[in-house]
Amino acid sequence: MIDLSSSESLVSDEIKIKETVGDIFADDAKMSMRNVNVFYDEKQAIKNVSLDLARNQVTALIGPSGCGKSTFLRCLNRMNDTIPICRVEGELKLEGDNIYAKNLDPVLLRARVGMVFQKPNPFPKSIYDNVAYGPKIHGLATNKAELDEIVVSSLQKAGLFNEVKDRLEAPGTGLSGGQQQRLCIARTIAVSPEVILMDEPASALDPIATAVIEELIDELKEKYTIAIVTHSMQQAARVSQTTAYFHMGQLVEMGKTDQIFTNPTHELTENYITGRFG
Amino acid sequence: MSSSTLIFAILFLALFSYWFGIQKAVKVAGGLGKVKHLASLPRQFGMLTGFWCGIPALLVLLIWSVFEANVVESLLISTLPEQVQNLPGSELGLYLNDIKVMAGSGIVSLDGLADDKLVTAQAVNYYIQTNQNASWLKTALIIVIALASVAYVVSRFSLDFRARNQLESIIRWILMASSAIAVLTTLGIVLSVLFESIQFFSSVPPWEFLFGTQWSPQIAMRSDQVAGSGAFGAVPLFAGTLLITLIAMTISVPVGLMTAIYLSQYASAKMRSFAKPMLEILAGVPTVVYGFFAALTVAPFIRDAGEWMGLSVASESALAAGIVMGVMIIPFVSSLSDDAINAVPTPLKEGSLGMGATPSETIKLVLLPAAIPGIVGAILLAVSRAIGETMIVVMAAGMAANLTANPLESVTTVTVQIVTLLTGDQEFDTPKTLAAFALGLMLFITTLALNIIALKVVRKYREQYD
Repeated sequence: MIDLSSSESLVSDEIKIKETVGDIFADDAKMSMRNVNVFYDEKQAIKNVSLDLARNQVTALIGPSGCGKSTFLRCLNRMNDTIPICRVEGELKLEGDNIYAKNLDPVLLRARVGMVFQKPNPFPKSIYDNVAYGPKIHGLATNKAELDEIVVSSLQKAGLFNEVKDRLEAPGTGLSGGQQQRLCIARTIAVSPEVILMDEPASALDPIATAVIEELIDELKEKYTIAIVTHSMQQAARVSQTTAYFHMGQLVEMGKTDQIFTNPTHELTENYITGRFG
Repeated sequence: MSSSTLIFAILFLALFSYWFGIQKAVKVAGGLGKVKHLASLPRQFGMLTGFWCGIPALLVLLIWSVFEANVVESLLISTLPEQVQNLPGSELGLYLNDIKVMAGSGIVSLDGLADDKLVTAQAVNYYIQTNQNASWLKTALIIVIALASVAYVVSRFSLDFRARNQLESIIRWILMASSAIAVLTTLGIVLSVLFESIQFFSSVPPWEFLFGTQWSPQIAMRSDQVAGSGAFGAVPLFAGTLLITLIAMTISVPVGLMTAIYLSQYASAKMRSFAKPMLEILAGVPTVVYGFFAALTVAPFIRDAGEWMGLSVASESALAAGIVMGVMIIPFVSSLSDDAINAVPTPLKEGSLGMGATPSETIKLVLLPAAIPGIVGAILLAVSRAIGETMIVVMAAGMAANLTANPLESVTTVTVQIVTLLTGDQEFDTPKTLAAFALGLMLFITTLALNIIALKVVRKYREQYD
């Protein structure tokens, strides 16, 4: 049962967010963002958010709908550039390099920071061509044998190879939803990114397919730094080491996942994870 | 009452029946407060009553109007003296025509007329009288039918009367009849063209038409006339059509496609909001304007440019017509391709960009392959436009049926020849005019074949997304 009266009081800003509580810093940060503000025309979607993504860890971004977590995620590989009215301010660094620097090519950035989307979006091509797409355009393979190897190893890492090895030429869109999403992960891995951004990767999947994806995320963190936006708090608790709670464009609280879910500091965080709001 | 007044009267009655049906339904329910006990809404009862009032009456009116003239005429003939009835068909027709014309100026007085005149005058008066009677009968019949239908349907109203279901099935029939009109019209056109063509092929052998390379349709109408013997080889016409279409497509497909890519992927919202309406204006320019633009501006320019380069260029050239036609077709290709590209789901585009593909790679490798069915459809529509286009070619490409692949020479197309064959005073049973139908049939078959081929191509190469 949702307590409507309390959620209304939350929206009316009765509980003020002065500054982020918890620990936004990572000992070994892969990406570090400071004082990020994002505007859609005049409307401010992200307000002064600072946080680090720890190397080879999974960072979960949680929060109610419209809190800006997806917007923030899309800043990290400059996908927001495709929206003309979107403006990003602040300092966003990947391994110490400013990713919004004038001389930085967003195309090269996106090869280093890959993205998996909410709805599985395989290209209307064969399974093989879907995975080979990135390596081909980035010239990662000099011959067919090398390309084959990249495709096979990417599919293996995404845990899909055994299911599709006999039908690599079949269209990727013919797979089931969960398989399609793993195909998209394989496609992202194939260009050997350093960071993988996942925008609610399991929200369109059934519980079994979700479990498979979560297991996969856990394995992937050995090689990649991962940021995942999710609506499911159980999922955040299961897969992430660090959790950041967003509310109305602000970062309310960030810290170790165990601590956030067992002993949140901020009242808003507590309300959200105990299901009283969101 | 004339038929148009009657139609208005029926519509008015239907409107009234709508109101009457609602009142009746409310009464059956037992007052406004109990309307919820009805199986359908009062409004639906009203509409059903309205349809019942209008549809049978209009149908009877339609049937009456089709047969009225014939019935009155045969009544008139039966009153005429025997020697008039036995006149040959064309003379009888002329005589009846005279009567109808005279009837236009009202009742004729019979006083002091000679016998032969008297017969005619009596016929005229009979004709006027019969028409009046028919008109009264029609009005009475229609109104009785309308009122009787309303009375019938209203008498069936009860609490569980399924007005909505009946209304829906009437509407379904109306929708079906509307779609049948398009289908039947197409069928009718095809059949009429087919029969005329068969008549044409009985005087000109099909192989001569299909494979003959000589086109000069001028034939002698009288035996003493000096004219060409007539040659109906359609190859030069189809070659000319093909040549001009080819030139038009070489211009419109690349330019249109690139316009679409620019507008859908690169242009700012401001640029797009300016360029799209401009392109649509280009599509709205009447082809006759393009025609004189081609004939008076482009064709002389090409001739001068050709002479400057030492080429001999006809003042009416396939190139001029083709270029202008190509420009005319650009908006078709660009607008439809733009729609096709925009219809590709954004997640696909983002998926590609998100892997570090450049916008250009994304367009080439993801958007265009996914949009191919729409783009092929756009091109196909453009080809059909080009093949069927008449005005520009009439004015800019000439009439000479040259069999040539040289775009600098004057050529003619199928549509231009159809126009020249059928304009002016013509008899409709000579091979010359019948040739137009044969050409039309060929044109129809060509576009049909193009459609089928394109459909096959699209099915084979489409990259399906969902």
